[in-house]
Amino acid sequence: MRQSLEELIEAYQKSLYAAAFNICRNTDDANDVVQDTFIQYYTTKKQFQDEEHLKAWLLRVAINRAKDISRSFWKKNRLSIEDYADAVPFESREETGLFEAVMRLPEKYREVIHLYYYEDLSIKETARILRITEGSVKMRLSRGRSFLRDVFKEEES
Amino acid sequence: MTDKEQYKKVFDKVASFGMEPLEVYRLMQKKRKHTYIHKAAAAAAAAALIVCSTGVAYAANVGGIQRTIQLWVHGDQTNAELVIEDGNYSYSVSYQEDGSAQTISGGGVAIEDDGTERPLTEEEIMTELYMPEVEYKEDGTVWVYYYNQKIDVTDSFEDGVCYVKLVNGDETRYLTIKYDDGYSVSSQKYPSPDSFN
Repeated sequence: MRQSLEELIEAYQKSLYAAAFNICRNTDDANDVVQDTFIQYYTTKKQFQDEEHLKAWLLRVAINRAKDISRSFWKKNRLSIEDYADAVPFESREETGLFEAVMRLPEKYREVIHLYYYEDLSIKETARILRITEGSVKMRLSRGRSFLRDVFKEEES
Repeated sequence: MTDKEQYKKVFDKVASFGMEPLEVYRLMQKKRKHTYIHKAAAAAAAAALIVCSTGVAYAANVGGIQRTIQLWVHGDQTNAELVIEDGNYSYSVSYQEDGSAQTISGGGVAIEDDGTERPLTEEEIMTELYMPEVEYKEDGTVWVYYYNQKIDVTDSFEDGVCYVKLVNGDETRYLTIKYDDGYSVSSQKYPSPDSFN
């Protein structure tokens, strides 16, 4: 299956941006990642089995691209996490605190936490997208949650 | 509110705040620019050799550096202006292709070991521009461009993956291409197909 770019932008831009920002921690780079991901979809002739396959592929491309940018020379100028948190119209201190706490996590925990909490992905799906073992996903999720225990209310299960 | 709901609410706001509107037309424009950047990567490699060997024209721009260079764009040599702006981490390369003016712009910072940021040096910009390019042509052939080398790798794919070793002087690049699914470059060894996209 294939979808038009219009449909993809409508359906996935926010997800891809959030995943990219989670890694890049920078709006300009995150927007570049989203554009690059859609361009890569447009230029590939790859066929997708279903919606789930397509979304997983888009997320994987965006995450890989975000990591490339984060590790390259080409990182754009960026605000500090605190300055950025001040600029986003969060409604409460709790929201600001959660954002800052997530942004301070090491990248390997941040990406797993994001796919679990934002995308509602399973351990298995997260492992496939990040090309790591399910055991690693569980371990990173657990460690990530422990870093966030002050801002998360629920008990770990 | 559950943790998941709280997390989604926070990052929905982050996305709404920073996400730029996207239009298909703009994406197509960007795709065109993308192509030119890749072309310049192959081209600037040859250009850099000329820069290094002859020193060519060099002029101090207002707050930056402007340099006349020669580029190879898919095997065709052309003149170009490289401008490295001072202080705002950006550069641009302008040249003519098929009778029309093309401009590539880019930028970035280097992160030192101690975490401080600095603008890229000209050498670093050139190094980044040296990266090989892969092109899928309309006739179905696949080409790799590296410096002034043009290699048809169409028949080199096995199970959708192709490995290409590129050598220029004492510089070696190992290129792994997944057909229609991206490529990765390393100076050490062939990147694993599983390590990208």
